[in-house]
Amino acid sequence: MIVTHGLTKRYGKTLAVDALSFTVPPGVVTGFLGPNGSGKSTTMRMVLGLDRPDGGSALVNGCPYAELSWPLREVGALLDAKAFHPGRSARNHLRWLAQANDIPLARVDTVLDLVGLTAVADRRAGKFSLGMGQRLGIASALLGDPGVLLFDEPVNGLDPEGIRWVRHLLRDLAAEGRTVLVSSHLINEMALTADRLVVIGRGTLIAETTVDDFVASHRSDAVRVVTPTPQRFVAALSRAGARPSVHDDGAIVVSGLSSADIGELAAGQELTVHELTPLHASLEDVFMELTSSSVEYRSHAPDQAAAPDALPAR
Amino acid sequence: MTTIPVRAVVPHIGSAGAESRRWRAGLRQTMRAEWTKFVSLRSIRWTLLVTAVGTLLVTFLATHGALHHPPGWYQGFDPTNQSLSGLAIGSLAIGVLGVLVVTGEYGTGTMKASLAAMPRRGVLLTAKIAVVGLSTLVVGEVLSFLSFLEGQAVLSGGAPTATLGQPGVLRAVALSGAFLALFALLGLGLGTVIRHTAGAIAVFAGVTLLAPILLNSISHFIARFAPELIFANSVAATVNQHNDAVSVTIGVVCMLAYCAAALGLGAFVLHRRDA
Repeated sequence: MIVTHGLTKRYGKTLAVDALSFTVPPGVVTGFLGPNGSGKSTTMRMVLGLDRPDGGSALVNGCPYAELSWPLREVGALLDAKAFHPGRSARNHLRWLAQANDIPLARVDTVLDLVGLTAVADRRAGKFSLGMGQRLGIASALLGDPGVLLFDEPVNGLDPEGIRWVRHLLRDLAAEGRTVLVSSHLINEMALTADRLVVIGRGTLIAETTVDDFVASHRSDAVRVVTPTPQRFVAALSRAGARPSVHDDGAIVVSGLSSADIGELAAGQELTVHELTPLHASLEDVFMELTSSSVEYRSHAPDQAAAPDALPAR
Repeated sequence: MTTIPVRAVVPHIGSAGAESRRWRAGLRQTMRAEWTKFVSLRSIRWTLLVTAVGTLLVTFLATHGALHHPPGWYQGFDPTNQSLSGLAIGSLAIGVLGVLVVTGEYGTGTMKASLAAMPRRGVLLTAKIAVVGLSTLVVGEVLSFLSFLEGQAVLSGGAPTATLGQPGVLRAVALSGAFLALFALLGLGLGTVIRHTAGAIAVFAGVTLLAPILLNSISHFIARFAPELIFANSVAATVNQHNDAVSVTIGVVCMLAYCAAALGLGAFVLHRRDA
């Protein structure tokens, strides 16, 4: 269990994390979601006691990290893809970690096997690819068989097979009753992995909920209509109390009426319909909409024309 | 590979109870980890090799150059000091080793893993001081005695020689070995303060190589307190050949103070700054 309360971190004038309070319960995968620079890594570093908070607290199993008796046996963390010395072998890296917390050295072979690095365990870790580095980082996190796990962007640099493997691993770890917090800036990856979400933007909490509730509560249903007579259709829809908007490609996106209602309306008024499609906001759309005001680094691309399947701009 | 054979655990909610708090990761575990780190890096082994080869090579050159001079040349000649000349190079290399032990961790992100394993930063630094201090003490003593024996062997070919039984010789040789460990700790302290390899090595080189030259241009009185001049003129000497050299006692106290200052500042920075 991880609990943060009013966690705050300031870098100069920038408020990186702003009074952040959330709970990560055991037994489920909690996705920690936010755009780049939103404070995810800083928060995780404060949970691990690497960065000192300017305010608030972060407790692991009810204890500040620095007061844990055997930190690696209670908390495993993957913060950086390459938090190991490139001149040291994977086995020696895990050996010193094990010795630091009196973890039986047999665990070194166990976790090396678990992440599939046994064959390269005695090669210098500096020769590893990004994906192999991630696997070594995951091995380090699992070394002490901890009940609490933090992973910062664990699928970075992994191939599709590796991504699937991490996804299953995270879910299995949670199913064993462990607390699993995994950060990502990719909502779709989180939708596949996480049960709960903690969404932050600019260091503040935007949502703390389950993935299902997150989607359901932000779903705005709209219907896309293609017709050879858009003007008449729009007029009819407006009279019926719907809110139609005409898109560049000539399609009408209607909110306020279900697709069934629109079909009935068209039949009643003898309007031709070429296409009638219910639109659902994708998780990504919801995430973009929620965090759009809190994106730190935005590229100034030419105005993105609304894609045909996008929601009408509000 | 999709299922994980990790032992299932009950979630450790509030497990940090009285039982586990009495017994926890401490200096013993951290020192073992630091030792494994120390001996498992090629860069450390290379630096030790450079230290040894550099020391013995320079000692050979210095003693060989002292052979077959006219008798007047040997006025005030200190065969012990001459045979320990190579340790000046050794002190630079071993100081770099002290720097690398800590800056290598910051440069690669290993420091995060180190602090995750031992979040009490004072314990971590103490373990590093112990491992670096003790191992460089052994290396230093071995090198110092080897350098002395090598130097005397060369000098016996045509110059005055010394033996360990003569007054002050054993003291000079043994203390010179210990001084190598102090240079390593000075490097360790500077590395902890500065965190960047290049910057820390530059400062270390400034303190050891440049300080004597710069200070000499200001005042001979101040210059004799420079670490390398304490080492060469006070600690590694059996006769006070330079009238302005500080006494051995004052020299040792000064060097200990420099190390304490660097390590103390390092401890302060380690506690105050984010990792």
